Amino acid sequence: MSFFDKPALRPPIELRMPVWSRGPEDMVPGVVPVALLVARTDTHAVLIDGLLVYPTGFDFDLAVRRHPRQPRHHRHHPHLWDDQLRLEVRFADGRTADNGPGRWPRPSGDHLPDPPLLYQSVSGPDGGHVWLWGLPPPGPLTFACQWPAEQIPPSQATLDAGLVLAAAARARTLWPDEASA
Amino acid sequence: MSEPPEPPPEEPSEVEYRRPAWVEPPADMVPGIVPVELILARTPQRAIGLTGIRAYPTGFGCTLHLRLREDIPGEQSNFGAFNMFGDGVDPAGEFADYYLRFGVGFADGRRATNLNQRHDFDEGPAPDPPTLWLVRWEGYDRLAWEVSLWVYGLPPPGPLAFVVEWPARDIPESRVEIDAGLVLEAAARAVPIWPDPPQR
Repeated sequence: MSFFDKPALRPPIELRMPVWSRGPEDMVPGVVPVALLVARTDTHAVLIDGLLVYPTGFDFDLAVRRHPRQPRHHRHHPHLWDDQLRLEVRFADGRTADNGPGRWPRPSGDHLPDPPLLYQSVSGPDGGHVWLWGLPPPGPLTFACQWPAEQIPPSQATLDAGLVLAAAARARTLWPDEASA
Repeated sequence: MSEPPEPPPEEPSEVEYRRPAWVEPPADMVPGIVPVELILARTPQRAIGLTGIRAYPTGFGCTLHLRLREDIPGEQSNFGAFNMFGDGVDPAGEFADYYLRFGVGFADGRRATNLNQRHDFDEGPAPDPPTLWLVRWEGYDRLAWEVSLWVYGLPPPGPLAFVVEWPARDIPESRVEIDAGLVLEAAARAVPIWPDPPQR
């Protein structure tokens, strides 16, 4: 008999994120075949890149680019919300979502928040990564940004929401025959 | 007797530093996109997908999707994103079979894998392309991980292969090929953000 009695297997950790907070984990997303230049100054640019779409919403990179001859500034002041790159996504039917503070609901049981809802999971001087809960209706899908701290004025660019909807239709379920297993 | 205080070191207000081309895409271009949506490997419990090739004249980025269907009792660690590019598992060592292997293969035989990464890319001479670099990973509730990769170097015409293998997780060497021409055409569609010199 071993000195070390093996314990029982630990039960799985129930740590599922709410369905509205990320793409379905049993799918591979569809790809929007364009990247969007939303803002450009002499020194900075903001791109919407890597648009990956699920039937419930879409992921993208909010990418801050600096002109190659533009040195990086050391910033010594505290990290304040007002310093952040602000992003708003607008649907053709007037609904909007943004990365402003206090817009992220607390998970509460099975309650689903009303889409669209924007969650920026990464945030920094190079931009961030964004999940948007909800698909846009057909029509123009607008990305608007501004970043006063970096002298980026209010700027916007528009994408045909049809590209997003077509990509959502191409998202693939990984285990289609065993969904209830 | 106290020494006179040293003057505060002069902090540079600006740093002219750019990461080299083999570490990240060119900062001053909008990529051309190849809308590939691939499933590289799938077992009853695990799957690895690859989507969204973002092509530039110097190489291409893409996203790996690591998926676990459900939490498996006894499964060690997370779904492997750390091990892929971190130092958690030595790919040549005792637990090598737990190391998720990923690579790209060009039609001329050249390849880049996560088994032979350099960790000192900021120094020394430029490597011979292709090379593979981890840009970012993100994970959620142990079941899903997204890994952004940068492949330095464009493939020659012909098949471009994406290969994975994960012996300890029952994923044998699995390969999906696409036409490299799709990546080359997308790279040609990449456009400069600042086509003209900025006004100074």
